[in-house]
Amino acid sequence: MHLTDEEQRILDGASGEPQRIALSVLRKLGEAYGADRMAEITSAHVVGSSYQIAGEAGIEIYSQLVSQGARVKVLTTSDPGSIDFARWREFRTPTAYAERQIRIAELLDQMGVIPTWTCTPYTTFNVPRFGEDLGWSESSAVVFANSVIGARTNRLAAYVDVCAALTGRVPRFGLHLPECRRGEVLFELDPDLAESFEDHFFPALGYLVGQVTGDRIPVIAGVKHATFDQLKAFGAASAASGSVALYHMVGITPEARTLEEAFDGCEPAERLHVGKREIAQTIAQMSTGQGGAIDVVGVGCPHASIDQMRRYAALLEGKRVHTGVQLWICTNTVVEEMARRMGYAKVIEQSGAKLMVGTCHNDCPLGAWGFRRLATDSGKFAYYTPTTVGTECVFAGTEACIEAAITGRVEQR
Amino acid sequence: MSELCKVFRGKGCAPGEFEGEAVVSNQPFGFWQGIDPQTGVVIDRRHDLFGTSLRNKVFVFPFGRGSTGTPGVFLEAVRNKCAPAAIVNVKSEPMIVMCALLAEAFFKVQIPIVDGLNANPRDVLRTGDRLRVNGTTGEIEILG
Repeated sequence: MHLTDEEQRILDGASGEPQRIALSVLRKLGEAYGADRMAEITSAHVVGSSYQIAGEAGIEIYSQLVSQGARVKVLTTSDPGSIDFARWREFRTPTAYAERQIRIAELLDQMGVIPTWTCTPYTTFNVPRFGEDLGWSESSAVVFANSVIGARTNRLAAYVDVCAALTGRVPRFGLHLPECRRGEVLFELDPDLAESFEDHFFPALGYLVGQVTGDRIPVIAGVKHATFDQLKAFGAASAASGSVALYHMVGITPEARTLEEAFDGCEPAERLHVGKREIAQTIAQMSTGQGGAIDVVGVGCPHASIDQMRRYAALLEGKRVHTGVQLWICTNTVVEEMARRMGYAKVIEQSGAKLMVGTCHNDCPLGAWGFRRLATDSGKFAYYTPTTVGTECVFAGTEACIEAAITGRVEQR
Repeated sequence: MSELCKVFRGKGCAPGEFEGEAVVSNQPFGFWQGIDPQTGVVIDRRHDLFGTSLRNKVFVFPFGRGSTGTPGVFLEAVRNKCAPAAIVNVKSEPMIVMCALLAEAFFKVQIPIVDGLNANPRDVLRTGDRLRVNGTTGEIEILG
């Protein structure tokens, strides 16, 4: 692997111990995967911001780096933490647990990480441009940056993302190379399906695509229109049920203006048709529990945008969340602030729903609540919450989820 | 198995040498929500190794899957001395290789990883086999 003179000096320790360790990790990773050289990145996004992920090992690593004077070299944002920093008592987080999360926050702050505490950094201060190389982790953010924006990042792991942030570099292999970004598996949507995209369609399609694709690159043909939030929901589901880091949606995403462009002139290795039957089968698989009484509802995974907040407020206006049900809407501080200014937060809170800011059901310890059955409109939550929250999970559309919070019951489709 | 078949060659993905007992699975594995980092025991109820300890074992499985938070739980296990001591994959996912590189960089523990053997590991390796794994040369030897 070719190293520049500057990189060699960093490895010799000229820029301090944190950069030396960080670059040596990145170099070994590059050598294992045949990278020809390092790529300079414009930003990093770090997932080991959550105590649930980082644990005591993470605190040890960050403490060591901070004591050696580590500072990020490029714009770096943080993934969610394991507490709502403003309201953790309200969410019944144990004090000792919250204190460890606060310790991580202090350490990241000392390294110069922007405390966005969000899985959607691209709705805050980390907005990549087409073609830029990035050092990101957080599977849902990686798939959004690669697919919707056309920036270039591999799925970095916790702490490797910090190594990228400290050095401003990543080894150039995988999705940094144009020839590794061409589509591999083609999903053709039945025309009758494309006529009626309901709420739950995009997360369900993403879940299906992830299951089939694994870590290959899917191309979806037949979607006529998709909003920012629908693409966000689709990608997050595909990255959870599979390990999709890049997808192409013909006519929608920037590297797939045509089918030919999506496959870069090559033939798909596999072709699949998706119709109403496949979507219905996937929706059934996404639920581990039956319809009926629920005690917690999770929306805002990935973190809700301002447009989603508008929609939740409209659905909750003048309504009351059912006694014994918790409706938590997950988002980041930037969207929360705007939702307060625009009056959405007030409407939401008057209904008895809570904003859960800077974290989510998945990242936060919820044992004290004793939840049994969760309803969600998110494919990622549907995949993870049976393990992370330990509940049964019923997947339904956004409107159906808000309705479930109001009536206390969810009807399985 | 003849004496001749006891050494297999693959690609070394993370350096180090280890000699110990194999735990073999046919299923992909995700460490995040997959092991208890306090004990090294598999906690994923959907996995065929549910309840098995990976502590200080040569963990043989097809490929890694799952969250970018994987090194969080993996390094917590390393810190608690409960992680697998070596890994043999059919195809090693960067996420798993990154775990080993981080363990070396931050906890001075080498966890050799070998993939791409010249035989399918699940056909030639059995749980309980004693193996020598060399993550630099990519060689695996069945000792008995």
